[in-house]
Amino acid sequence: MTIRFLDPTHEADSRAFVAAPRLAALDGATVAIISNGKKSTKPFFDAIEAELKGRYRVASVVRLTKYNYSAPVEPELLKEAAKWHAIITGVGD
Amino acid sequence: MNLSSKSYTADDFAAVQEFFHARKWTDGLPIVPPTEAAVRACLEWVAMAPDHLVGIEPVRERAITAEKLAINAVMAGCLPMHFPVVVAAFTAMLQEPFLLHGATASTGGCAILIVVNGPIRDETGMDGTFNALAASDRASTAIGRAVRLTLYNLLDVRPGAADRATLGHPGKISYCLAEDEANSPWLPLCEERGIPTGLSAVTVMAAGAPRQLMNEWTTRPEEILDTFVAEIRANMLNYSIWPGNYAIVLPPQLRTHFAAAGWSKADIRRYVFDHARVTRREWAACGKGSVVGDKADKVYQALPAADDLLVIAAGGPAGGFGAVIPPWFGPKSRAVTVAIGACVDCG
Repeated sequence: MTIRFLDPTHEADSRAFVAAPRLAALDGATVAIISNGKKSTKPFFDAIEAELKGRYRVASVVRLTKYNYSAPVEPELLKEAAKWHAIITGVGD
Repeated sequence: MNLSSKSYTADDFAAVQEFFHARKWTDGLPIVPPTEAAVRACLEWVAMAPDHLVGIEPVRERAITAEKLAINAVMAGCLPMHFPVVVAAFTAMLQEPFLLHGATASTGGCAILIVVNGPIRDETGMDGTFNALAASDRASTAIGRAVRLTLYNLLDVRPGAADRATLGHPGKISYCLAEDEANSPWLPLCEERGIPTGLSAVTVMAAGAPRQLMNEWTTRPEEILDTFVAEIRANMLNYSIWPGNYAIVLPPQLRTHFAAAGWSKADIRRYVFDHARVTRREWAACGKGSVVGDKADKVYQALPAADDLLVIAAGGPAGGFGAVIPPWFGPKSRAVTVAIGACVDCG
């Protein structure tokens, strides 16, 4: 006996997110690093900042920390985002 | 009533199961095939159009429609009469203070505790007595599982996908109970949280696994609560020190002693609020001495306020067993209570 049933997933709401244009180089760029606020992000992002400045000659690194590591980034933290060339975000546990 | 979900066919019941398992659309258990007829029956029971917007998950801005919720409820084993509870639970979970994304994605591995109050418990055959915290009855199990399957399929909260829990706990299969109002001397949980008398309601809480305790060696409320407080303090030291909503479950045998002494739920909350505290230095005795730092004397309380304790009457008639149900993440996620099928603040 054939059974007909319905799709339980969000199907039509699968948005097609498009990646931002890639940067050709990081020389002279401003890069923001957004931490989720957990303790271990500090040494990890310290190392990334050093790599960005030393190896990739990034002009400046903006370090930001979310208030709540389980919630989306607060809009006020992104108000300067138009001035940044790239954003790195990540978690630490 | 036009349903908009894509439909599929399979040759038989077994083939339907394999179809769902192959796509990770279920939790490892078989599902009830969500046929159009079964989904329509759920929607008709709550008088909701298929595209009725139950809410929007704010992080991924994903719509939770009545149709999709009904499909997952049918899969979980819900009857139409169970569906209003599922709708109310999701309505509560989508309120901002609940922090749904964090609660379902966290390494901390909490589950959604659903506490049901009011006449709908009896109408659906929910039973808050024997085995109250696990598969006590058909409705409780199916409703809790419906919430979990909806998280799977509408928000991708599958292990290793959006669900990043290190361990999780068995409540992630289903974590729903009805308060045993008939055998309780107290106000129902929902009434204490502002729902008018006579309405049904759900309370949702991002919750860790229940920590069972036992004290059959006293009739004094203070001593009984000292056992609960000790368990809360252990949770603060071993899991998370941050204050938030805690739930405690009191069975009839213990409730008898509180009733005899004239203690209300408010009295219980006050006692626990006053006593459930630890100092940071106590971390040193459980292997966390490295984070005591220079705040050894700082006092941490389990509850931001006495009203943050959810006191639930549930359990079988014999046994001095209770449970502490700890919060996932202190004050960042708050328990939310909403009425079922009624708006209590619409003016």
